[in-house]
Amino acid sequence: MIHRPPRGGRYNRTVRIAILLLLIVSLLVPSSAPAADRVVAATLDNGLRVLLLEDPRSPIVSFQVWYRVGSRNEHRGSTGIAHFLEHLMFKGTPSHGPKQFARLVEENGGQDNAFTSQDVTSYYVDIAADKIDLIIDLEADRMQNLLLDPKEITSEREVVIEERRTRTEDDPGGFLGEEVSSIAFKAHPYGAPIIGWMEDIRRVTPEEIRAFYKAYYVPNNAIVVAVGAFRAADVLEKIKKRFGRIPRGKTPPPLLAIEPVQNGERRVSVTKQAELPIVYMAWHVPNYKSDDSVALELLSTILSGGRASRLYRDLVYQRQLALEAGGDNSYFSIDPNLFWFWATPMPGQTPEKLEAELSAHMERLKTEPVTDEELARAKNQVEAAFVYQEDSVHQRASLLARFELAGGYAMKDSFLTKIRALTAADLTRVARTWFVPERKSVGVLLPKP
Amino acid sequence: MIRGRVGLLCVVLLASLAARATAGAAVLAHREVLPNGIVLLVAERPAVPIVAVRVLMRAGAVYDPADRGGLANLTGAVLTRGTAKRTGPELDTAIEFVGGSVEAGASRDSMTVSMTAQKKDLTLGLDLVSEVVLTPTFPEAEVSRKVAEIQAAIKRSEEDPGTVAARALSRLVFEGHPYGRPVEGTRESVGRLTRDDVAKFYRERARPDTTVVAVVGAVTVDEARREIMARFGSWARPADPPATPPMATAPPATREDSVKRELTQSTIMFGRQAVLQTDPDYFPLAVASYVLGGGSASRLYTRVREESGLAYSVYSWASPWRYGASFAVSAQTRTAEAPKVIAMIREELARMGREPVAERELGLAKQYLIGSFPLRLDTSGKVADFLVAIEDRGLGLDYADRYKERIGKVTAADVQRVAGKYFTASAFNLVVVGETK
Repeated sequence: MIHRPPRGGRYNRTVRIAILLLLIVSLLVPSSAPAADRVVAATLDNGLRVLLLEDPRSPIVSFQVWYRVGSRNEHRGSTGIAHFLEHLMFKGTPSHGPKQFARLVEENGGQDNAFTSQDVTSYYVDIAADKIDLIIDLEADRMQNLLLDPKEITSEREVVIEERRTRTEDDPGGFLGEEVSSIAFKAHPYGAPIIGWMEDIRRVTPEEIRAFYKAYYVPNNAIVVAVGAFRAADVLEKIKKRFGRIPRGKTPPPLLAIEPVQNGERRVSVTKQAELPIVYMAWHVPNYKSDDSVALELLSTILSGGRASRLYRDLVYQRQLALEAGGDNSYFSIDPNLFWFWATPMPGQTPEKLEAELSAHMERLKTEPVTDEELARAKNQVEAAFVYQEDSVHQRASLLARFELAGGYAMKDSFLTKIRALTAADLTRVARTWFVPERKSVGVLLPKP
Repeated sequence: MIRGRVGLLCVVLLASLAARATAGAAVLAHREVLPNGIVLLVAERPAVPIVAVRVLMRAGAVYDPADRGGLANLTGAVLTRGTAKRTGPELDTAIEFVGGSVEAGASRDSMTVSMTAQKKDLTLGLDLVSEVVLTPTFPEAEVSRKVAEIQAAIKRSEEDPGTVAARALSRLVFEGHPYGRPVEGTRESVGRLTRDDVAKFYRERARPDTTVVAVVGAVTVDEARREIMARFGSWARPADPPATPPMATAPPATREDSVKRELTQSTIMFGRQAVLQTDPDYFPLAVASYVLGGGSASRLYTRVREESGLAYSVYSWASPWRYGASFAVSAQTRTAEAPKVIAMIREELARMGREPVAERELGLAKQYLIGSFPLRLDTSGKVADFLVAIEDRGLGLDYADRYKERIGKVTAADVQRVAGKYFTASAFNLVVVGETK
């Protein structure tokens, strides 16, 4: 085969969950060493939060700006606006014209990109450490001075529509994920797709985008994280000097919607051109604010962390009912979110069969304690992943940001302590508490005959 | 994510990785040839307590017999499914218990066993790697399982337009050469493969004198040599010389193909054969490709995506392999606009050969290719992948420095010359996947 480039990144972890599993595991894994001790943390007068970590091993730096805004901050009728704005962040300011961001970064040997999730919008540049001044200047500039030229918006709207076609309209997994999310949430914006409904992408106006930018792209709603070969004190001074000029903005409006407790199973079934069916099951679960979520992390590892995990061993390997199967928790979600299960039946197997098998695994977790070996293996996998992520400055920076968003980067250290303390009885209790049929949403995609 | 250009970097990985800075004359790795012919490469990265190991064997799909498509891929998939000492599930449990991984798989040219573990688990990790490489048992039941799984995966891949297009394009670009066949085979060809085929393929292809081992991470050269010698030192080199697959030659004519799918977009893919990394034209071609469709400042990105809003993804990339190479351009656009995007790509290909690139475009491409190098060697796993690849292609550990130097010397006239030679629109095959007439 001609090797083709994989699509650049993602905007939605629930789309093609399986592929993202490894990434998510790596994101979940804080450093085992007390790295938090060495982090230089500061909050500027304008509210900008800054986290810096010196890592001199390679002459590079990962410089990241995370805004506390994602699709959860959107309203019906204007879904997709956070992601649309992310595209427009590359369209220039008065001092750096429309195509200059990417050019300047590439000319300096850097790689930049961005992603939008339900909770955050993140921009990063990985570049030679001696170019950090340029990046500080570019990021500070576009935090405050984005052009948002209506002409650029018109043409970029078509690009976003094409992106939606690629990821959702023409992708069975993406398509079904969107359907399941939309039935799982009645009140909370997590029910809307991150990329937005097609009709909203077409409709949203430059004025709305500008207002969204003004409301959320303020220093008091952002975190700057850098990890790499620099002196933290120097970089902090530079950040103070450049970002410090930006005035504090109004506190962004709080999200008021609270998802009501689900009172019964919900189902959606779609038919689409596809080769194999897909089954998704999603349960409402707590997020990082509850210690139960740490247990859910471990359950997700026991279910689908590697080839010795339960779903792979049983459904894929021993009985060959599924081409792939897994489960995934939403630990870092700002508001309570979903625990996903998925399976792709092998040819000749029905989605009904796979749904029943996934449910049986769920019931087993509630009735039978996991074995000592399984528990120890899952804990070791989580701990090892912490160590592996230390190898990349980009991953170290992302992880610091994730924990900071969830209440403080120092949580990195307590996370592992909590993982280590979990017992088989804890896991049984948590499975019984959260995996109840009334809180379940099920989606099935059937190939068009 | 928005700009989707990171993906491209993976494809030009080898090329770009090679642009390693020479500053300080840091040696990328220690290299030595063991008595049985294994090339051992060791890079010490003591800061993080992990070790990445790669064992690359010259046993890729290019060696598949014509009527046994997918054999190398199946062999790679079954390699970890049973050894003289352990069953597949026992092996999985052993390595996952310490949070490590052992994987095997085949590409066009080679079969690779990859291991990652914490330093404290290195002995276990290396034991498993050596068992997998030296004593795989290919149990009958495991072969049947993998055949069914691969067939299902091939079936499912038919719903991914990019995969469908790439497969169809390879068939045209490498007609008559093993590269024209999919690495994974077809559902039919895989269905014909037996346990005996797998065992025979591995017996004939896996041999120390075409094997490269890279050990990277919290390990010293002496330690790595001792551990590798202890496990692989007695692997005997066969008397007969290793087989050499034919080099790809250009098919007599270019063709167009379309594959109908009920989709809202058309996936457009142009492709042709190009040059190996050992060819002097490779360096200007890498620069030309970057100017045309390499990053988010490229001509195609600017015209098709930014100015016209016709695509989310549009790229060009060169793929050099061991026995042939290709250059391709790809875009996805709404069905109605496919003819317009095809015309734009043809125009931009032709323009590259017609007029010299601007100084800023040239500078950007060269500075990016050279300057971004350290970003792609920032983990032990990436370093290990890079080391076995440059060794297998015979590029030498100094290739990194050479690459940087050669890219640095590319002129606008060089770019125009190679574009004139390789970017003639009529020399490309074309595949379109989507709603077709």
